[in-house]
Amino acid sequence: MHELLLFASVSSHQHHELLQQLTGLTAMQPRHSLERRLIFKATRKPGLANTRGGASQGADIVRLNKMLNGQMFYTQVVGPVSEADFDGKSSSSESQDASMSGTDEVAGSSYDYDSQPWKLEFRDIPEAGIRSTITARLAASAALPKGDVVPSMNAWGYSFVTEYVVEGDVFIHNDIVIFLHRVLQYSVHPGQEPHEPRRQLPSFRELSPLERTGSYILQAAITVQDGGNQELMRTASQHLFGLREQLKSAVRLEHADRLSLDTRAK
Amino acid sequence: MSESFSVSLRPKIEKRDRPDSLPRDIAQINAQWGSFRELNEATLRQKIEADKHKDPWEEEDEGDKESADLETSERLDQLYKRRAEIIQFALQAHMEASFALDFVSLLMSKHQPRQAETSMSPFLKSAAPLGSLNAEVVNPPPRPDSTLKDIKSVSRGWRLQNFNSAASKLLNAGSRLETEVNSETKYWNEVLAVKEKGWKVCRLPREGQALGVQYGFLEATPLFRDRGLAALRRTDDGSLFLDKGLIPLKAQGVRVRMKHGDRIVGCSKVCRPPQDAESIESRILQARDTVFEEELFYEIMREARILGSQGVTTRQNLVQIPLSEEQEVLLDLVDRDQDRDPEAAVSSERDVFADSIAHSIRILLTYAHRQNLRRRTQPPPPLAPKRRPIPEYQILRPIMAYLQHKSHIQWLESLMNDLRGVLKSAGIACDFRSTQFDSIGTLQPNSLVSKVEALARVFLAPIQSTFSATLVTPGSSFRVRIRTNPAVPPFGTFYDISVNLPQYPDVQPPSHVGLQEEVSAILTHVVMLDIAASVPLQGHGASEQQSKDRLSWEVAYAHHGELLALGQNGQSKKMKISLSRDELTIHTIALGRNGGMGPVDATSSTMSQTWKAGLAESKPTLSEFVAQASQP
Repeated sequence: MHELLLFASVSSHQHHELLQQLTGLTAMQPRHSLERRLIFKATRKPGLANTRGGASQGADIVRLNKMLNGQMFYTQVVGPVSEADFDGKSSSSESQDASMSGTDEVAGSSYDYDSQPWKLEFRDIPEAGIRSTITARLAASAALPKGDVVPSMNAWGYSFVTEYVVEGDVFIHNDIVIFLHRVLQYSVHPGQEPHEPRRQLPSFRELSPLERTGSYILQAAITVQDGGNQELMRTASQHLFGLREQLKSAVRLEHADRLSLDTRAK
Repeated sequence: MSESFSVSLRPKIEKRDRPDSLPRDIAQINAQWGSFRELNEATLRQKIEADKHKDPWEEEDEGDKESADLETSERLDQLYKRRAEIIQFALQAHMEASFALDFVSLLMSKHQPRQAETSMSPFLKSAAPLGSLNAEVVNPPPRPDSTLKDIKSVSRGWRLQNFNSAASKLLNAGSRLETEVNSETKYWNEVLAVKEKGWKVCRLPREGQALGVQYGFLEATPLFRDRGLAALRRTDDGSLFLDKGLIPLKAQGVRVRMKHGDRIVGCSKVCRPPQDAESIESRILQARDTVFEEELFYEIMREARILGSQGVTTRQNLVQIPLSEEQEVLLDLVDRDQDRDPEAAVSSERDVFADSIAHSIRILLTYAHRQNLRRRTQPPPPLAPKRRPIPEYQILRPIMAYLQHKSHIQWLESLMNDLRGVLKSAGIACDFRSTQFDSIGTLQPNSLVSKVEALARVFLAPIQSTFSATLVTPGSSFRVRIRTNPAVPPFGTFYDISVNLPQYPDVQPPSHVGLQEEVSAILTHVVMLDIAASVPLQGHGASEQQSKDRLSWEVAYAHHGELLALGQNGQSKKMKISLSRDELTIHTIALGRNGGMGPVDATSSTMSQTWKAGLAESKPTLSEFVAQASQP
């Protein structure tokens, strides 16, 4: 599956107006979306990489080697949450404590970590060069079991790095998914970052936007089943360019810097 | 000067330079040749020949010969002198011309400075400021009074006339502006009124200057969605009119008719009679209704084509749905004003039925619109070479399923009632219960789906009704579940029969029955089995002494309804029970002592009794009859 993308930066005072414009354009009400995103990093297990040996390097061995010694990537695990999950009742210190220790159960919280659905999202680094006016990258996603994902992710060779929250509104315009969102961070004292996903969510007000000015990102994405099909890729980019034209007077959609979307783990 | 001053915008027709060349040619010939008679072809040819041979420099040579006499130095002197003379004359002429030009330019610069400036010499420009020279008529010769008077009156008249025409032009412009303003005001008021009614007024996408009103349905098929926009145009007097483009002006609607045999027995009514056909509001409403109705019929047609296997037929403008052998529902798109079929017989009940179908199809189309909105606002699947086809809306299928289900329920209910009547007349108490459309009753509140949608969704799910009965023998019962599936194969109605007969634990009918005859046969058989099983139990309530005297019945061939009774003295009797929808019959035959088949005394020992439903005759009940038959 391939993903074609265009981005635009939206300042916070333009946000409301743009929401209304998008509502009119897509003829639908915005669908508010809140997502927890956990970042995992692939780690190479020692001892697996050295399968080189002998003259009998068949095609399978080559492929296996390629898989084992290939690039390592960061992946995201995405779980939808609702605003009610961010418990406003528990005091900040309590929730912080809970998030720090990661295991305490605070009474009165409605968030149930064990029934949180998750989805694994893999995004490759955007393709270089060919389509310089649009960001295209390989994308794949898969559903994960509910609840604690860390053990299974660890078993697959991924280790937890950090997590953040994405808040935004989704619009659908024909085949294009328009996501007007911003990244929110948990308030964490330096040096006390938790080493596993929070079991307890803090109050929503305690989250602070990553971008201090509170500006939003407009992302227009279209997914293509088969990235090798040039015809389809062209159609998809034309759809995106059509949207860019339509939104020209409001925002300027453009492709992102390739290296800023680099998901390779160094 | 009586007319107002006007400038012709047509190009001036140019006169020809040479109106007619022939007179000029003749004059030329006369001058050149003396007389016309001298001129003929021969002389002309001679002349041409002569010109050819003549040396073009002959004359010059002659001049050279003359001047050759003069001395060379003299000639040079003379040449220079002449040349200087010529140059001097030319310079003088040029100077005078420039002076004249400068003078005139300076004079002109008083009145037309820009134009005069271009022809001034740079020196003059720097020396004298523009417009510094003026010319006036000094001491004009006195004119006669009459001329002065004439001029005066002419100029006054001229001026008056100009004033008049200017005034009338201004007045015209004023009145024109006034009407324009009035009509614009009227137009905008009407547009505002339309907007205040809640219609969406917008700019036309392809025609930026025009306003349009959107009355169509956003979720309709693109073909009809795009038609839901009409321009709001202004007529000359400012009133609004709805420009729908190429759409037929007539209001149309889907009509539902019921056909019984060859006669039309019911017809649906038009939804809303247009009370004020002229107002813009009603015209918009009418346009909206027409778009909706046309879409409805389009979708019905589309669906009807895939329902050919279920007997639905389509004509050019007609969809026929068979309900039963004789009944049919006809759907067609007709003009609003002729929606009543003149042939239709007046039957209010059928009209109501047709009306309810008409309402249902509209509700189902609106539901389909909502589903489209739902689908449209979901994240789309990845782009693939094959586009998803738009599935046919479920409009006819739920209605057909409902009607089909209903007719099956009615049939089963009448079967049950008949059986109950037969059994009742035989004094057998059975309990029949029915829960019709029990799938519809279970409307669960769902936060994801709005109530209206949930309500309509129920009718798209498989419809189910349950009939159950407890029979005579304790613990025995049966249950019939009727299911009709409108959308997913297998289509049609199926009966799920489950039987609980403690006496015959191995009796189980096939679970999936489609034919009514089979269902009827199964149910009567089950009831018959139950009656047969109940006969041996009849005597249980009696005292020991009594039961000793009586024959005790044994079920011999249950599926044939046959029982046997062996008396203590070796006497035996046979009982045969037969049950149909209409009657219950029991025969008893006394058999020989040895159990042989031949009846000993047919006349005295054969008993027979038939019970029919609804007959009010006083007959012995089944238990009485059994008791009687049990007498040895």
